[in-house]
Amino acid sequence: MEITFAVLLWAVRIAFLVLLYLFLIRAFGALQRSLVTETVVAARPSGIAHLVVQRSIRGAARVGERLPLRAINSIGRDAGNDVVINDEAASAKHALLEFADGEWWIEDAGSTNGTVINGELVRARERLQYGDELAIGRVALRLEQ
Amino acid sequence: MPPSPRARFTELSLLVWVAALAVTGFVAVVGAETSAFGPAALIVPAVYLVLVLALHLFLVAQRFHGDQVLMPVAAGLTAIGLVLVQRLASDLLLQQLSWSIISAGAFAATILIPRDLTALSRFKWTWALLGLLLLIAPLFPLIGREINGARIWIKVGPGSIEPWEAVKLLLVVFFAAYLEEYREVLTQTPRRIGPLPVPPVPYLVPIVAMWGVAMLVMIFEKDIGATLLFFGIFLAMLYLATGEAFYALIGVVLLLGGGFVVYHLFGHVQVRVDTWIRPFDEDLRFGAGYQLVQGLYALANGGLLGAGLGNGMPDRIPVVWSDFVFDAFAEEAGLAGAIALLALNLVFVYRGMLIALRAPTTFLQLLAAGLSFIVALQTLVIVGGNARLIPLTGITLPFVAYGGSSLVTNWMLVALLLRVSDVSTRMRGRP
Repeated sequence: MEITFAVLLWAVRIAFLVLLYLFLIRAFGALQRSLVTETVVAARPSGIAHLVVQRSIRGAARVGERLPLRAINSIGRDAGNDVVINDEAASAKHALLEFADGEWWIEDAGSTNGTVINGELVRARERLQYGDELAIGRVALRLEQ
Repeated sequence: MPPSPRARFTELSLLVWVAALAVTGFVAVVGAETSAFGPAALIVPAVYLVLVLALHLFLVAQRFHGDQVLMPVAAGLTAIGLVLVQRLASDLLLQQLSWSIISAGAFAATILIPRDLTALSRFKWTWALLGLLLLIAPLFPLIGREINGARIWIKVGPGSIEPWEAVKLLLVVFFAAYLEEYREVLTQTPRRIGPLPVPPVPYLVPIVAMWGVAMLVMIFEKDIGATLLFFGIFLAMLYLATGEAFYALIGVVLLLGGGFVVYHLFGHVQVRVDTWIRPFDEDLRFGAGYQLVQGLYALANGGLLGAGLGNGMPDRIPVVWSDFVFDAFAEEAGLAGAIALLALNLVFVYRGMLIALRAPTTFLQLLAAGLSFIVALQTLVIVGGNARLIPLTGITLPFVAYGGSSLVTNWMLVALLLRVSDVSTRMRGRP
């Protein structure tokens, strides 16, 4: 009886080490798999979401063009902006479009003619959903994934 | 999208292994102690596993998009920690189990409460001030406590907590926000003296300020580990934000210079360094160096596969359950077990750094990198100390060592990393 207990105890001890390694291998495996999918995602050519041009004027972006977005985007007439709206009705620094904690947010940057979402003037920092239409100057843009 | 729960299969399948590990560990340790297998061995792992499963279901119910590897790895390390507390100080087991329940609560709260992670950066000076207050709190006569030569504890009710543990999280949030704010300075080419860049004022001021605080901690709180840790975190984040290795080098030189002066002025630092360099000398072996010497014997005794759980003599090391868990684990699970333990830490840190790389804003990137770096540096400093590669310091092995403050903050750290990864996954629209 004594011997069988000792043998069993050793079996449990060895099982502990084996399980430790199996757990480690599984964890590494999960890491590896997520790394592969991430590489695929990272290989996608452009930004995390897009503004698709709906209405435009001559000289500004063409209708249907997809402008890639980053986490924080300045929008305006200046060439230094992330999204350039080449329309004299747009201010040099017009608005700020930002992704924070799973949501898109728009904020007017003190523009002359204001920023409009779905026909309503933006007054504070407002949430933007995919499919919403953003009007800056005479250019209309839709937020898409 | 329908508000249905969101399955996390990878996490669940990894948790099955955690469960198997916890149960075999407890059966082995309790079996060796009582010379019998009984259902009593299963109570603590069962409670713990219910707790971990509850956390998993909580994340599922929250429709959480974050990473699925970090939580099981942290849970596995915590399980090994519980097995070791049962082995080394079974009278503290209930206390450690209660701390893991509190940690789970802190984890869930961190997942739920900050609605907008970026908002954390707006209160950066609050975090800095709170961190500094907590850091110097142990020095005040009424609330401060000195335990085992380090004055890093404050009295709370009947017990005492180590405020330093919370300070490291606050500091990482502060550094991330601060460095993000001054990142524009990056775009300017730094002035150079010869080939060396001169740090612009917004970088130079915190280098010197952090150095001053680090020296004060070393002198008055007698805690070399904390000094190394938070100065190290600061330099790593400064390097990440600026890409200038020279700035980090300035910090290292300042630390070495300051350390040299402090070494010559203060006895407690000399004792630490002496026991590191010559622990086997007659005057130290049974005195200040006793703990380290016993730890080294334990390491050597372990060999390749170890003495078997419950079969070694790690209880010869004083305070083994908090300072020397790594040596105790290496004695009983051998080099094989010790390497697996370090590899689990590696998985954790690697995953954390990947989360940092994917994070959408500078603040979140620096936050995730800094948090992962805490775990990396803490493991390095304590395992290095246990193995006599560097002077021994009293910081804990993350998740594994006995200690409430440490466990709670480390689980909050996991939750913050998960939050960062949640933001980037949602943003990229990946399943």
